[in-house]
Amino acid sequence: MKKLLIVPVLLVFGLTLAACGDREDIGDKTEIRFWHMSPTGSESYSEMRQIIRDFNESQDEYHVRGTGFNFWDYWDRIGVAIASGDAPNIAFHTLDNVVLRAQGGALANISELIAADIAKGEDTLDLEVYLENQLEFATHDDDLYALPFSGTTRMLFYNLDIFEANGLTEDDVPTTWSELETVARQLDDVDADGRINILGFDPTFGEGTYHGFLWQKGLDFFDEDLNPTLDTDEHLEVLEWMLDFNDIYSRSRLDAFGEESQMLGISPFAAGRLGMVISSDGLYQTMRSYGADINYGVAPIPVPDEDGIRVNWGSGFSIEIYDDDPEKVEGTWEFLKYLQDYDTQIRLAETLGFLMSNIPAMEEYAEGNPILEAFVEELHYAVDKVYVPYAPNWHAMDWMQYFEEGLAGRKSAAEVLEAARDNYIQKRENYERMQ
Amino acid sequence: MAKKTKDGSLTLLIKREKKVGFAFASPWLIGLAVFTAFPMLASFFLSFTRYDMVSSPRFIGLTNYRILFFSDNLFWTSLWNTLYHVMLAVPLGLIVGILLALLLNSRIRGIGVYRTIFYLPNVVSIVAMGLLWLWLFQPHFGLINQVLDPVYSLFNMDPIGWYRDASWSKFTIVLMGLWTAGGSMIIYLAQMQDIPKEYYEAAEIDGAGSLRRIYHITLPLMTPSIFFNFIMGIIAGFQVFAIAHIMTGGGPARSTYYFGYYLFDKMIMDHQMGSASAMAWVLLFVTLIITILALRLNRYVFYLGEQD
Repeated sequence: MKKLLIVPVLLVFGLTLAACGDREDIGDKTEIRFWHMSPTGSESYSEMRQIIRDFNESQDEYHVRGTGFNFWDYWDRIGVAIASGDAPNIAFHTLDNVVLRAQGGALANISELIAADIAKGEDTLDLEVYLENQLEFATHDDDLYALPFSGTTRMLFYNLDIFEANGLTEDDVPTTWSELETVARQLDDVDADGRINILGFDPTFGEGTYHGFLWQKGLDFFDEDLNPTLDTDEHLEVLEWMLDFNDIYSRSRLDAFGEESQMLGISPFAAGRLGMVISSDGLYQTMRSYGADINYGVAPIPVPDEDGIRVNWGSGFSIEIYDDDPEKVEGTWEFLKYLQDYDTQIRLAETLGFLMSNIPAMEEYAEGNPILEAFVEELHYAVDKVYVPYAPNWHAMDWMQYFEEGLAGRKSAAEVLEAARDNYIQKRENYERMQ
Repeated sequence: MAKKTKDGSLTLLIKREKKVGFAFASPWLIGLAVFTAFPMLASFFLSFTRYDMVSSPRFIGLTNYRILFFSDNLFWTSLWNTLYHVMLAVPLGLIVGILLALLLNSRIRGIGVYRTIFYLPNVVSIVAMGLLWLWLFQPHFGLINQVLDPVYSLFNMDPIGWYRDASWSKFTIVLMGLWTAGGSMIIYLAQMQDIPKEYYEAAEIDGAGSLRRIYHITLPLMTPSIFFNFIMGIIAGFQVFAIAHIMTGGGPARSTYYFGYYLFDKMIMDHQMGSASAMAWVLLFVTLIITILALRLNRYVFYLGEQD
């Protein structure tokens, strides 16, 4: 009986081990390690695997082995891998801080690889397909050390059902800050007891950011030498505009509105509770995935009434080569060119749900879809946030701690700006002491 | 074969036993050297360097420590937040753990089930726990404020903002931590089982009531486990991080920005591994000093069977 049991147990054990082993025999081919964000079990896993497999099948010399990590795990892993000198040959990273890794000598020089292709008379990447702003972020000392991989842009989402219920049409979609305020008030729906059912707009909801609004006025957090600014009347004016946009409602009511949305677990815009919101193409992908049943459109973010600049915060991923081993770099470069290729970029956009960096490819991908077409058009007005070595997180925790105090009414707008500026100054002084 | 002397055989045996002993202990010893001792020494070295985790570390002497102590406001804010947490969480954790143990040290039907129920939160993932309490403590719609609503009405006061209110947020995290007091409860219960029944019988004959028996017998004889949980609570308290990261993001207004959180941000967000390593060593020394001070309370601990 025991012997009879051993057979199935060994079989199950053997099959389990076989299932765990996903390593193909690559023979004499040079292995290239590629890290991405489509782990086993994710929606994009199969197609990402197929994209890699298609490259491998076209190759005699190289074999790409892809490893997918969850988005939230990815950043710690890649950071530690680079620090320990055990980075993959090629991987995604964030475009806005390429300079950090380029300065540290972690990245292969892409300009040299392009030059080598040209010298050999081989086809190489056409840099014309990328946005100049994105290429600038991938440049260090006049050389490219990465390539833009994806692009994100932010727009104004408007709910047409709510517009129509209030007698408005797409022609009424605001284009300036004053129009935004007027339309927002028309869309508000508040109970007799003060409970907010529908909020027209709030600049602090969604992906509305203080630095995004500053850019529309030609202002910023830092000057060209990366000294913190934030101390002009115009900075104060923009922050007060954000904080006071809905001051006809108490903070408690607005907090309650926010909490209700949090409890729903979905974007308040997707739930039909916000008339307008600033968000990225990510919100479009989320609503599409979950089949959100609302009639909506997107438009450029309204600009200040006087001398407003059409600009939005456009973040993105880079694709980088981490190995200086000539044997590996050549194959990795071939794979990178394949990933940046027109057709692959369309496949990647369909697989990952990102807008990719190859603009002509994205124009074809978006064709016939008004929302995506608008996003691809808006990519031309997207600017990434500057990398500040002494405060890389300047737009998030470094700023948000003070901004939240302003939102909660514990600090005035002027106090918020002063405290944030003092913090940046201290960080800069401390950073300089370390040099 | 030459016959060995008695002493020679013994020496050989001791040597052989030593080898075997080390062989059995080697997985742990190797683990200690590779995963604990080496990172500790590496972080000690890194604390004297500027290291962005991309370029090579560069020696800058005591600069990281000087910056932390003399020109970094957040260092002191985070240290204060952590001390506040320890001062509140450790005694409250001890009290709730002891009360639970006293409550569950009864001989009633299904006591095992009750003990399991109170222990269960310790096996819940901290992320799930954080999200669960986030809902419960929600100021406007959370269950806790719904239950407390009559109290708020009675005293004509606004609902407590819990984790959304900077003056309540640290206490909210402490309160939430009490949910896992079942872990220390198990240790107290184990020690309670060791207390000889004769002590209680003698006290009962002398007319001591249940409260007096707890105060004069149970609590004194539980001091070793109370002391153990006290020390472990201090050490764990200084490491508080994950729950703030999940629930409050260090806010509002940095009120739950604990030392561990700042250390994490220094490393991951600011790419200042050298400074983060210096913080780790400061934390080690702060914890060590407070633990050494706490160990002086050992003189008040009564170990059963110990001779004067």
